[in-house]
Amino acid sequence: MTERDTDAASDIDLVRRAQAEDIDAFCLLAERYARRIYLLAAHYCRNPQDAEDLSQEVWLKAYQAVQTFRFDSSFYTWLRRITINAFLNHRRSSFFRRNGQTMSVQLLQIDSEEQQVFFESSSRAQENIYNKLLFESVVNALAELTPAQRLAFLLRHYEGMTYEEIATAMNCSIGTVKKGVWRAIGKLRARLSPESDAQETLTNFASEY
Amino acid sequence: MHNCKETREIFTELLLDGMDFRSDQALSAELSRCSDCRSEFEVLSATLRLTNRLGETAAPAEDYWTGYHSKLRQSLVKAQAESSTSRAKAQRHKDELGPLFEPLRPRAGTSLFARFFKTTVPVPLPLAVAVIAAAALLIPFAIRAARVQHSNTTTVVRVPVEVPVVQEKPTEKIITRVVYRDRLVVKATTPAKDATRAESTFAKSQKSEGEAMPSSLAGFKPSDEVKLTVIKGGVPNEK
Repeated sequence: MTERDTDAASDIDLVRRAQAEDIDAFCLLAERYARRIYLLAAHYCRNPQDAEDLSQEVWLKAYQAVQTFRFDSSFYTWLRRITINAFLNHRRSSFFRRNGQTMSVQLLQIDSEEQQVFFESSSRAQENIYNKLLFESVVNALAELTPAQRLAFLLRHYEGMTYEEIATAMNCSIGTVKKGVWRAIGKLRARLSPESDAQETLTNFASEY
Repeated sequence: MHNCKETREIFTELLLDGMDFRSDQALSAELSRCSDCRSEFEVLSATLRLTNRLGETAAPAEDYWTGYHSKLRQSLVKAQAESSTSRAKAQRHKDELGPLFEPLRPRAGTSLFARFFKTTVPVPLPLAVAVIAAAALLIPFAIRAARVQHSNTTTVVRVPVEVPVVQEKPTEKIITRVVYRDRLVVKATTPAKDATRAESTFAKSQKSEGEAMPSSLAGFKPSDEVKLTVIKGGVPNEK
């Protein structure tokens, strides 16, 4: 039995215990996948506080819905579906309720202090200013996309989902997903490519560091 | 034949999947043929590598997760408490109302219709007395109100009545015209006097004729019947 099989079996066991209202078992599941969910939320929200709130909301929804898990897919696949729905609902409610403005305007509203807090929470980011600039560049590139395009890119690139899976999960066409992903790649390429100013700055910092 | 667009699509998807392009011989051949595609591949590869590094480096430190999980545990405990409270409330309602509907629950051998008429439901005595008293008081009022309402209401009966339509028939129009004509005076009177008299008579008749009657019969409708009486004589009173 490989390590992945052990994990999967362990997931099933933990889910069964969670369905029997064992909070400890569910917390073990959360510890296992919290980082992935948090990173997705951090890329999606571009704000550490929102990322924490959104990821906590995902886990709460997952706990309330764990009774409906039928073991016909892996736990993470099921959890990812809940995550996507939570992200899309977050996009519909809090984002527009809070700002009511375009994504590029929200980018300008990201407080440098908030980013500082985010990076201070990571010891590795504190040590490496190159990572900070990199994160800023990527966040700025992603901020120029619509939430749906950003989510499509995150699911394709970080989660390795196929276009069909993303289209099904986001309830849109494959063409829309492809368009979003390619648009995201174009933005990132423009921001991070060697000839761009951002990349030049990054390279200088990297060489100095 | 090299197609730059197709080649770029292929290597972009490979890079998104995290695959090594060197394993793809066909793609390697295409990249070696076109310098533009090769440079584009290198740029895109570097870009996606950077974003991958972001995922590795942007993760919060380990001490962050301790607080994160304790916060999550608190939320879960609170959610479970709320859930168990609502479940207990639902169960209490079920326990309270359940015995009332117990006789109506399906049982083998008896139909719902039969059970409906055979079922007795225990009701507290004060409630039963109050219900009966209220019914005893309200029923006479209800009957009286119904009667009053019935007497006050005027029934409108619609009876079709045929109203004869009188059509005017064209009545016969009789027009009598009296025409006076001079007659030759045979009497032995003075010619001058007779002529004057005759002249005056004719003029008088002409004058009265012009005032009372139209000069011609034109204008009468075909349905009108004209009765013309011609009276010969020179004197109006003479017939």
